[in-house]
Amino acid sequence: MSAAIKLDNLRKSFAGKPALHGVSFEVQRGEIFGLLGHNGAGKSTALGILLGQVYPDEGEAFVGGISVQRERPRALAKVGAIFEQPRFYDYLSGWRNLEIFTSYSAAVSNAEMNDAIEFVGLTKRIRDNVGTYSQGMRQRLGLAQALLPAPEVIFLDEPTNGLDPEGIAEMRLLIQRLHRERGLTVLFCSHLLSEVEVLCERVAILNKGSLLYTGRWHDLMPKGTRYRIEIDPWSPELFGDAVLVRPGVVEIPPGGDVAELVARFVKAGVKVRVIEPERQTLEQLYLEKVLNA
Amino acid sequence: MMLFLRQFRAELLKMFARKRTWMGFGAFFLLELIILLKLQTSEAERFFQRDFARNTGGMEVIFGDYFRGLTMAFTVMVFTVFLLGSVFLALVGGDVVSKEVEDGTMRMTLCRPVSRFRVLLVKYLSCVVYTFILVLFIGGTALLTGMAWRGIGGLFSYVPEEKLLVLFPQAEGLARYVASLLFYTASLLTITTLAFMFSCFNAKPAAATVITLTLFLADRILSFMPQFESYRHWFMTTHMATWANIFRDPIPWDRVAGDYLYLFGLNATFLIIGLAVFSRRDFKS
Repeated sequence: MSAAIKLDNLRKSFAGKPALHGVSFEVQRGEIFGLLGHNGAGKSTALGILLGQVYPDEGEAFVGGISVQRERPRALAKVGAIFEQPRFYDYLSGWRNLEIFTSYSAAVSNAEMNDAIEFVGLTKRIRDNVGTYSQGMRQRLGLAQALLPAPEVIFLDEPTNGLDPEGIAEMRLLIQRLHRERGLTVLFCSHLLSEVEVLCERVAILNKGSLLYTGRWHDLMPKGTRYRIEIDPWSPELFGDAVLVRPGVVEIPPGGDVAELVARFVKAGVKVRVIEPERQTLEQLYLEKVLNA
Repeated sequence: MMLFLRQFRAELLKMFARKRTWMGFGAFFLLELIILLKLQTSEAERFFQRDFARNTGGMEVIFGDYFRGLTMAFTVMVFTVFLLGSVFLALVGGDVVSKEVEDGTMRMTLCRPVSRFRVLLVKYLSCVVYTFILVLFIGGTALLTGMAWRGIGGLFSYVPEEKLLVLFPQAEGLARYVASLLFYTASLLTITTLAFMFSCFNAKPAAATVITLTLFLADRILSFMPQFESYRHWFMTTHMATWANIFRDPIPWDRVAGDYLYLFGLNATFLIIGLAVFSRRDFKS
């Protein structure tokens, strides 16, 4: 079975400035896949190519095994998308907006519309003009339009942008429900790496238009165990096999024992003020990967 | 087909839900009322009567039959729609694509499994509908306000720059007036299409409108300059003015057909350029 999403050697330049250099990766059916990168890394360009809004100079993008560049309407027939700030016709109601956008896909029944509206929790306000909506409500309406009519793949570009912590948590739950209840494949782009960490198992990291990494983000974890230490005086000569990975953090190789390190400190009269295991977050791993690139 | 109709309906809904779409209707209605009020004065009537007598060779005895609603409606159509109507058509046509690109709703639409050609087609058709409705509204309200003033009467059609001067009895005058609305729409569609083309370019909505109006006015001005007399047939406004030929007796159908063929060619060219530019564009935030 073909991948739900496939980028094959995509290259793109804007006015001579390269935006993507031969980027390739695949997203399997039914997974939530994170696309990470700093501003200008090429995420939006990649997404634009996947939606047929940007023409690649080279390469091809596929959705459900169908080329977006050669058969765009067929490739996007089962795709929903929202951007960082979904744009609507503010002078029309949420309902009318949904009618307008879905008219460009396929016939959608009122029951299907109501189902999507209920799913995102907008039932009470759907007849109000979008101009009166809060940012969170706009994001939810954006998600509702992406869910119509019944996509199999959904692209979410910064869906938590501009949301307060409650809104972010709410959006996260909605995405998890989409995945769990509807089995959707989700391509998730976000700067909030803590969200990506919770939602995604596999990620692709773009840096200056190039693919830096693709795979399980847990595989980025160091092989050894890391500890944050505060000792007085600072005595790196006592570290032994442990490696200083950044100021105040040492990594003990597999098979090593932190107790031996502490014993060396005590024996040498070094005061150990703090020693605690460091939890590896995606953000730390991402930064290390990008900074070392 | 059903989907196409749904998309077309959606475009009309968007267009007619916007306040700026109605600006033209409001402005024209106001203008008609001002002209009507001015025509109430005896000074205006004397001026009209003098003009009528000079051009009809002393037939002022029947002036009263012609200084009525139909003639007033015709006067409004001749002296206002060509210029002021073009402003509103350029505004709406210049806005229809570029405003959506600027607002970001175009990217939302282009996430959908629809071709860019289809998106433009329904937008252009909604502009055609707007052009027709605007002309129909102006023609209709001008006639109604004129009738409310002095009844319908005969038609004194007089356009000096087109060397047009004909008197029509009520029934024929009315028939020609109604028919002229269709021809007027076809003429003004060139402005709508020109603005639509610029709207497809990577430009701000205001830029599309201003460029359209600049070209239209420059074309109109140059076509009136004696130095450009031998080039008149190249100017679009020369051909657009052919709608007034419906009021000649007999109607010069060959000339009318030739003019509309020329305008059709222009419209098709503008549309193809607009589509070609829009189809090759990258849409990115």
